[in-house]
Amino acid sequence: MRHIADVAGRELRGLFVSPVAYGILSLFSVLAGIFFIVTLSAFSEWVLRLQQMQAIEALAQANLNDGMIAMFYQSMGVVLLFLIPGITMSLFASEKTNGTQELLLTSPLTIWDIVLGKFLAGAIFTTLLVAIVAAYPAVLWIYGNPGPELGKTISGLLGLLLVSWTYVSIGAFASSLTRSQVLAFLLTFVILLMMMFMPAIADLGVAGTSEARDFFRYLSADVHLDQLVRGLVDTKDLAYFAVMIGTFLVFTKTAVESVRWR
Amino acid sequence: MIEARGLTKRYGDVVAVDDVSFQIGKGEVVGFLGPNGAGKTTTMRMLTGFVPPTDGTAVIAGHDIFTDPIAARRAIGYLPETPPLYPEMTVESYVAYVAKINDVARGKRKPAVARALERCGLADVRRRVIGTLSKGYRQRVGLAQAIVHVPPVLILDEPTVGLDPIQVREIRQLISDLASPEQGESQHTVVLSTHILPEVEAICRRVILVNEGRKVIDKPLSELTAGGMTLDEVFVREIMKEAPAEQAAS
Repeated sequence: MRHIADVAGRELRGLFVSPVAYGILSLFSVLAGIFFIVTLSAFSEWVLRLQQMQAIEALAQANLNDGMIAMFYQSMGVVLLFLIPGITMSLFASEKTNGTQELLLTSPLTIWDIVLGKFLAGAIFTTLLVAIVAAYPAVLWIYGNPGPELGKTISGLLGLLLVSWTYVSIGAFASSLTRSQVLAFLLTFVILLMMMFMPAIADLGVAGTSEARDFFRYLSADVHLDQLVRGLVDTKDLAYFAVMIGTFLVFTKTAVESVRWR
Repeated sequence: MIEARGLTKRYGDVVAVDDVSFQIGKGEVVGFLGPNGAGKTTTMRMLTGFVPPTDGTAVIAGHDIFTDPIAARRAIGYLPETPPLYPEMTVESYVAYVAKINDVARGKRKPAVARALERCGLADVRRRVIGTLSKGYRQRVGLAQAIVHVPPVLILDEPTVGLDPIQVREIRQLISDLASPEQGESQHTVVLSTHILPEVEAICRRVILVNEGRKVIDKPLSELTAGGMTLDEVFVREIMKEAPAEQAAS
């Protein structure tokens, strides 16, 4: 376990010498800016209309968190779904094409050193992405009057952070299955899309019993993100993320180890 | 230093390595010989802990590869057939990384890296990115990586394949140097897999010949060539011996 940081450090340095990391960071910043402006102007338009209609009651309830930041966070969650596979695709696949898998597995590292090191690298990168998201509500906080509600804003960010780490663990698993980065990207993308559509599938009625429907809904990261964005920090949702991350890390460990018994 | 006890590797019905045993003492330089597909690489991969043997075990510098795998792997410097390099890293940072994951103490890392680069003739290119290096230099980086933690055992899988004649000579010289160290340095036990016979004659003092997964010969080089035969002739004779039996079987 002492080498997790070594593996993570190398991985991060590898990411930042390639243009991919910078490409994703800039693309993400641009998209975050666009979604921020779009959701903010939609919100202010809505407030303006409420004022014209003199809908006092609705106006009293309108707030930045529910009217704008929630939408902004959810959009960024979708953006993460598209970008994270681009980060995670190389985690293990490139070790195989470089032949460095043999270096790692014949050095005094445990498989957990390797898997957790790679996950940590990916998680640090996505934490950076979420930090970019955080800059925008911070702007509202500074210039807004009244600004957003701090608790809700932060619990939403926590949600995004957990979603991103979940995506990283899934991407790491996909990357550990193949030596092709393209395939790893596609596989991650397909799994994440399926997860996103889980609630829709559940609502189609194909799920049958209501228990099955609840189960399908539970699998979706979005459902749990929603709760956190609304400021509801519930152990049920936190447990979902812990279980997902843990499960996919165990899968990844098994996949990496499998070269030993194949 | 290295003790292989009945190493066997089966892939389904195919037996890649069949009950191979040998002992290699400290400071020995052993040529691990055989035609392509004889099981050389598989044997080395079992010794280095990359794949576990189906049967049998090995003890590296007193550490069993099953019961004490981490210590066994730490005792080995391994250069696989294709040097395991990260193309985007610089030579120095790569070798330093390998030192790190091989538990070279923080304070000793810098001198260890400098020494490995020096020995492999890489001091001038230490800030170059590995991806821009020629094949010969990459092979040297692979060697530097293998020796940086001063392992008692060095396992080199076809270290000169695909190099030009001058590079081949340089790498061989380097391996010879590693086997007979300068004063005050610990001696490496070297296992060198190859199918290039002059290489063995140039570097090794002992030969283990494997064919179709089995050990055929295990003798000092001097003894093998004592009858006036060249290593070339011995090799061909031993390999051909198996062939008629195989034809009869099929």
